[in-house]
Amino acid sequence: MHELLDALFRALAFGTPLLLASLGAIVNERAGVVNLGVEGMMALGALSGFAVAYGGGMGGNLWLAILAAMAAGAAAALLHAFVTITMRANQFVSGLALTLLGLGVAGLLGKKFEGFPLFNQPPQWPFTAGAIVLALVLAFVLQSTRLGLTLRSIGENPAAADVLGLNVTLFRYLAVAFGGALAGLAGAYLSLVYRPSWTDGMTAGLGWIAVALVIFVGWSPVRAIFGAIFFGLLYYLQFRLQGQSPIPTEFFSAMPYLLVIVVLAIAGLRGQQGSAPESLGLPYTRGER
Amino acid sequence: MKKYITIGLALTAGLTAVALQTSPAQAQSMTSGKLKACFIYVGPTGDIGWTYAHDQARLAAVKALPWLDTKYVESVPEGQALPAIDRLVADKCQVIFTTSFGYMDDTLAAAKKYPNVIFAHAAGYKRNANMATYMADFYQVFYLNGLVAGALTKSGKVGFVGTYPIPELKRHLSAFALGVLAANPKAEVDVKWLNSWFDPAKTREASEALLSEGSDVLTSSEDSATGVQTAAAKKVPTFSHYNSMYKFSPDYVVSGHIVHWDKIYIDFLTKVHNGTYTTKNLVNVDYWWLLNKGAVEMGADNGVAINPKYVAQLKAAKMTVAGKSVSVYDRLMQLTADMKSAKPTFDPYAGPIKDRKGVLRVPAGKTMSIADLNNMAWVAPGVKGDVADEPKK
Repeated sequence: MHELLDALFRALAFGTPLLLASLGAIVNERAGVVNLGVEGMMALGALSGFAVAYGGGMGGNLWLAILAAMAAGAAAALLHAFVTITMRANQFVSGLALTLLGLGVAGLLGKKFEGFPLFNQPPQWPFTAGAIVLALVLAFVLQSTRLGLTLRSIGENPAAADVLGLNVTLFRYLAVAFGGALAGLAGAYLSLVYRPSWTDGMTAGLGWIAVALVIFVGWSPVRAIFGAIFFGLLYYLQFRLQGQSPIPTEFFSAMPYLLVIVVLAIAGLRGQQGSAPESLGLPYTRGER
Repeated sequence: MKKYITIGLALTAGLTAVALQTSPAQAQSMTSGKLKACFIYVGPTGDIGWTYAHDQARLAAVKALPWLDTKYVESVPEGQALPAIDRLVADKCQVIFTTSFGYMDDTLAAAKKYPNVIFAHAAGYKRNANMATYMADFYQVFYLNGLVAGALTKSGKVGFVGTYPIPELKRHLSAFALGVLAANPKAEVDVKWLNSWFDPAKTREASEALLSEGSDVLTSSEDSATGVQTAAAKKVPTFSHYNSMYKFSPDYVVSGHIVHWDKIYIDFLTKVHNGTYTTKNLVNVDYWWLLNKGAVEMGADNGVAINPKYVAQLKAAKMTVAGKSVSVYDRLMQLTADMKSAKPTFDPYAGPIKDRKGVLRVPAGKTMSIADLNNMAWVAPGVKGDVADEPKK
């Protein structure tokens, strides 16, 4: 029983940033925009959050730190929004560029924060509980409100939404910014709670796992809760079971990569193409199609 | 469907990029008319571990040697050092340090390609007329830290977060386990492998797993301070790694393994500058610098061997040495002084030593050679957990 609780706590601790980032991604993808820049936005959020919370060593305001992280993520996402929505560039390429840019910029600006501990560390549970509540709220909003309907129709058929008088560009911008803000928050969780300090490259692929999680859970916020816990559990168990199962160590270290492949394969087998927003990844040009 | 293929491809590309730790190269300022030494790093200079320590040493060398100019390239994937070296040679670097084991073959190839450039490779064993090797090794310090861990554990379980199960790590893990057993013959060292040099999330979960299995002392060989932070959060004694991590947890960092690469860099570069080392005479130059050269240090913080908060506890802890009961603290101080002296008499790998499967690996009266230490495949008794590439017999 104790063992199970331990595993569950670790799954929640590791899963919280995954859940936050993937909820953000679900919203922007439901509006039809893919953003593969999650890893980069998380790095920017992690740095901004740490920089403000560190406050020159004196300990800054944690609320401000969280706001700064969300603002940094949202700002980076707006760049992606401008490039893909206004300039109609390829969303996948822009997202990859954003990841590289985010990691690079965070690494460069973060140089002066490396090696410092953070002593005014926020507790973990508000982040975890907040992420779960947010998932439930988002599920309700997407399914049962006018706003959710608007967002989904823009992701499914932007031309029809446009004809109905909805501002496709505005809603897509807002959705992408929301996704960025949550990726930034996920980054702040990493640098403030999960390992309270800043180091270059500390996101170490978590953003990519969040991107894969979105497909795994079929763009459903409620399923994202279970998906994040599932990933967290597997991640923790790769160490907890090491030395206690006949499977060699190397297999465990390949786990995150194998997981993503397995997850994509399962998503493919379950035919989840059906639940993907119809216009996902496609730029919308008024008057075309 | 096409959409999925694109997402899949993009994910693969992204994960690969993360796995390779690519990041833009950083260049340091340069002026001419000086000796120009250049460094290739495997990680970011801000990892707080291995690469950070090398870069701090580079800065110390610049400070100590007015005729020195430096430049570095960071986050160069192992096995991809050659293009980085080409660029540094084109930039007129006269001495090139490659600071990761995985750069060994590329460095040798480059040494043959550029006979007029001096190369020095860290942690490897291949040399050339213009290529030396160097290593500041921790196995003595790990033994000393093992004594501390053995004295402090109440559960009899000491956790060790390992990076890759390669000879260097087996040497450190085994020396640590030998120390733990010397202080506490009933204790064991539980190991979990990350298969990564730098991954804070893996370190966090591996540490949590060890704690959950009952370890009440933790040490980590990963490059970030995450192991120390995780231990601190659970109020468990732990150790600095590569650099001082004391400030991350002043209450729980007991001691540690701290490196001073600058001792080697300054010595090597001075000898290049005064003409002792040339592009013709490095084939036998192998720095294997330990405690007595000041290249490594046992310490919670620079100059602080044992965190004062734990001194009384270590003085009270007793261990048996040659049939006599002595305090662990006294033993630590005595061994440190011995291994720091010009002619050490104690070596953690002095025989007889059996491996954990009972095979005699070091006969009585013998000590492991540097070559043996560099090729170590077995692990010492007391180590629990999977260890890859362990010899069967």
